[in-house]
Amino acid sequence: MSTFQHPASLNPLQQYGQACSILANTTRASNHAWYQDALDLSFQLHIRPEGPCISCFYFDQKKDQWSLGPLLTDEILSDPAKLDAFIAEAMRFTRATGAKALGVILHIADDFAITELKPEFNNPDSLHDLRDAALHDPVSILEDSSILKDQASWRVLPYPATGSDVIGTTVTISLQYAPLFAIFREISERQNFPIITHALSAPLVAIMGLSDLLVSKPEKPFVAILQYPWFTTLAFFNEHSDLRLIRTLHHRGVRRAGTLRNALFTTNASLEFIDPDIFVVPLGRDIDSKLEANLRTTYPACRVESLGMTLPEGIPAWCPEPSISVKPSAKTHPEAVMSHTFTILREEKWALQNFLPIPKEIEEIYPNHSEMRLLRVLRLSRVVLFAITILCIAYLALGIVEMLRRREWAFDVKETETIKVRLAKLNAERQKSDHWDNLLQDRSKAWTAMESLSQMFPENGGMLVKNYSHTCKPDGTPGRAKVGFVKEWKMNGFARDEALEYLNTLNTREGINSHFAKIARVTANPAYNPVIGNRSISVNVRTQENVRFKLSPAEEINNSDESTYPYSFDLTITQRFEATDPMAINVPAIH
Amino acid sequence: MNLYRQTITLFGIIVPVIIAAVIIGGCYFLRSEMIASFNNKQLNYKSYEQNRIAALDVETQVVRNRPHLDRWNQSFSQETASAVTTNLREIFSHLPPKEIQQTSFERTNSTGGFGAVSAQKSSQIRLAMRGTFRTLQRTLLELETRMPQLQLMELRIDPSSNQSALLNFQVTYTAWES
Repeated sequence: MSTFQHPASLNPLQQYGQACSILANTTRASNHAWYQDALDLSFQLHIRPEGPCISCFYFDQKKDQWSLGPLLTDEILSDPAKLDAFIAEAMRFTRATGAKALGVILHIADDFAITELKPEFNNPDSLHDLRDAALHDPVSILEDSSILKDQASWRVLPYPATGSDVIGTTVTISLQYAPLFAIFREISERQNFPIITHALSAPLVAIMGLSDLLVSKPEKPFVAILQYPWFTTLAFFNEHSDLRLIRTLHHRGVRRAGTLRNALFTTNASLEFIDPDIFVVPLGRDIDSKLEANLRTTYPACRVESLGMTLPEGIPAWCPEPSISVKPSAKTHPEAVMSHTFTILREEKWALQNFLPIPKEIEEIYPNHSEMRLLRVLRLSRVVLFAITILCIAYLALGIVEMLRRREWAFDVKETETIKVRLAKLNAERQKSDHWDNLLQDRSKAWTAMESLSQMFPENGGMLVKNYSHTCKPDGTPGRAKVGFVKEWKMNGFARDEALEYLNTLNTREGINSHFAKIARVTANPAYNPVIGNRSISVNVRTQENVRFKLSPAEEINNSDESTYPYSFDLTITQRFEATDPMAINVPAIH
Repeated sequence: MNLYRQTITLFGIIVPVIIAAVIIGGCYFLRSEMIASFNNKQLNYKSYEQNRIAALDVETQVVRNRPHLDRWNQSFSQETASAVTTNLREIFSHLPPKEIQQTSFERTNSTGGFGAVSAQKSSQIRLAMRGTFRTLQRTLLELETRMPQLQLMELRIDPSSNQSALLNFQVTYTAWES
C-alpha cells in the first residue's frame, strides 16, 4: 500500500502536502475513472464465483463485446503470487485495449442470506434512511441483535408489492472476498492505474433481470426459483409482478435444498398465493436439472417453466448476471415485463448495491473528486497568481530602474545648498553692482549741462546770456524704493531780432526735445534723451524789449554790449524724472 | 466527506494570495518610498538647476561689471574732499593757469541733494572757480570722469565783475560714499 496516511492523523500543513503529493504522483487528478463507479467504466472484468468454480469475463462497453477472462480458481485466490499474476494479466489486457481504467465487478453467487429488519422500521418512507443505516450502522436496524458489524455486509432490499407485511429485508453477504478487493486496490495504487471494484449479489441481479427472462407478464402471482449450486433463492411476486418476499435455502452439501417443497408450500400459503406460476431459473454450471420436472409433478395445478434468456456471445446461459448488470435501463426490449419492482431495482440501484465498498478509513486517505478538481484549479490559479506577482514586481522594478537611471536620483542634495550659497553671494554682488551702477549714473553732470548751454546759445547766434543757474533736486516721496528728481535750468540774457525765431522754436515741445536729443547724442548722456524712461521736459521763454537798447550802426555793434540787443529774455527749462524712470535714485543703502 | 477541502483552500490559495499580496505590497511600499525620495530629489535637482542657471546668468553680469565695481571701490576708498583736491590739482597742472583758478572749496557732511533721499552715505562738495567756459568745462569733465560718484546739484555761471574774459562758476556736488 502507499505511504499516505489518513488526514485525521496529520496537521493541516501535512494534509496539504499529502494532497499535493497525491496530485503530483498519482493520476487521480487527470484520470476521472478513479472516482467513477466500476459499472460506468468502459472496460470491465466480471468475476462470478458460484462455489465450485469461478467464471471471469471481460466486457468492452464501447464495443458492447464480451470475451472470456483470465482463469481464476480457488487455488489462485489462496496464493498471493498467483493472484498478483492474475491481476497483472487483467491489467495487461486492459491496457492493450487502450482503456485507462478497469472496473472489477464481483457477482457473488456462492453466498446469500436474508436478515430481517427490526419491526419498528416497517415504514416505507424510511427505506432510504435504512439503506444508509445498513451501510454505516447495520446493527441498529437488524432484528438479530447478536450480529457484529465486521462479520458481513448487509444491504436493504425493499418489497415494493402492495400489501406486503414488511417493507423489505436485508441481504447478507460475508466478507470473504474483501481481501481480494484489497489486493486489487493495492496493485491499483502501486501501478497508479485505476481498478475500481464493485461487489454485487448475483441473486439480486438475477431477480432484477427477471423482467427480461419472463416471456410474458404473468396474470397471477409467481415464484422465481433461482438455482445456484450452493443455495436456492425463492422470490415471490404478486400478480402485478411486484416482489413480496425472498427466501433462500442453502443446499448444505447436496444439489438441492431438502426443504424446497415445504418452503414453497408454506410461503405460498402465508402469502395466500393459490397455484402461482413457478419459474425455475438455472444459474449454475452444475445444478440439479431435474428440479423443473419434479416441481411439475409436485404442483400439477401450477404452470412450471424454466426460464432462460438470450445472452451475448461469450456469456454462457447459466451466467446471465454480468450481462444483466451492465444493461443501462430496466426496459431493455419492448417485450420486457415491467413492474414497479423491476423499475426501482435498476433505476434506484437496489439490486446493484456494492456489498464490498472501499473501507471508509482507506477511502478518506485520498482527496475526493471535488477536492482533486479544486487542487488542480488552485494549482492553475497559483500559476496565474505567480505570473501576476512576477508581472507586478517587474512593473514595479522597471519603474524603480527607470527612476534610478535618471540624473535626479544620483543628485547630491548638498549641492542644492552649495549652489544656493553661491547664488546668494552672486546676487549680493550683483545687487551691489546694480546699486552703484544706479547711483553713479550720469543723471546730473556739470560738463554736460555746460555743453547744453553752449549748444543752446552758439557764438554769433544773436544772443547774450547774462546769468545761468542749474539745479538738480530729488523729488522724493518717503517710503519708496526709488525716487525721481527734477532738473531745472534758468537763464536770462539778451537777443537780437534774428534770435527771436530760434527762441520761439526752443519754446516748443519739439524744439526743446530736439535740443535735448542733440545733447544726448553729442555727450552720450542718456539723461538728456527725451524719449526713454518716464520723464518730461517743459520750457518757458519770455522775451521783452530791452529798455537799455540803443540803436547803433552795424560796425559799432559789440556782441558783449547789452545795449545793442533790442530784446531781453528769460528761459526756464524743467526736466522731471519720475520714480519709475531708469535713472531714478535707489533709496536703500548697500554696505 | 471533504477532509482536505479546508487545508487545500487555505494553503492552496489563501496563503499564496497573502504571500503574493505581502510581496507586491512590500515592493509597492518600497517603490512608494523611493518615489517619495525621488520626488524630493527631483525638487532639489530642479531647484539646483534653476539656481545653477540663474547663477551662471548672474555670474556673467557680475563678471562683466566687476572691473567697474573694483574701480568704483578704489575710488570710494579715498576720502572725498581729499580726492577732489588731489584730482583738481592734477587737472589744473595740465591747464593754463590764466584760464582757470579755484577760488573756494568747501566740504559739508550734511546730507543734501540726492543724499537727503537716499540711505546711502554721502557728502556735499562746493567748489568756486573762475575761468574760461571751455577750460572749466574740460576741468569738470575730467573731474567727473575721475570721480563718477559726484552728482551735480547746482551750477551757477556769472560774468566776472573785473575781468570780462573770465566767468565765475559755483558748483555744488553730492558725493556718494561707501
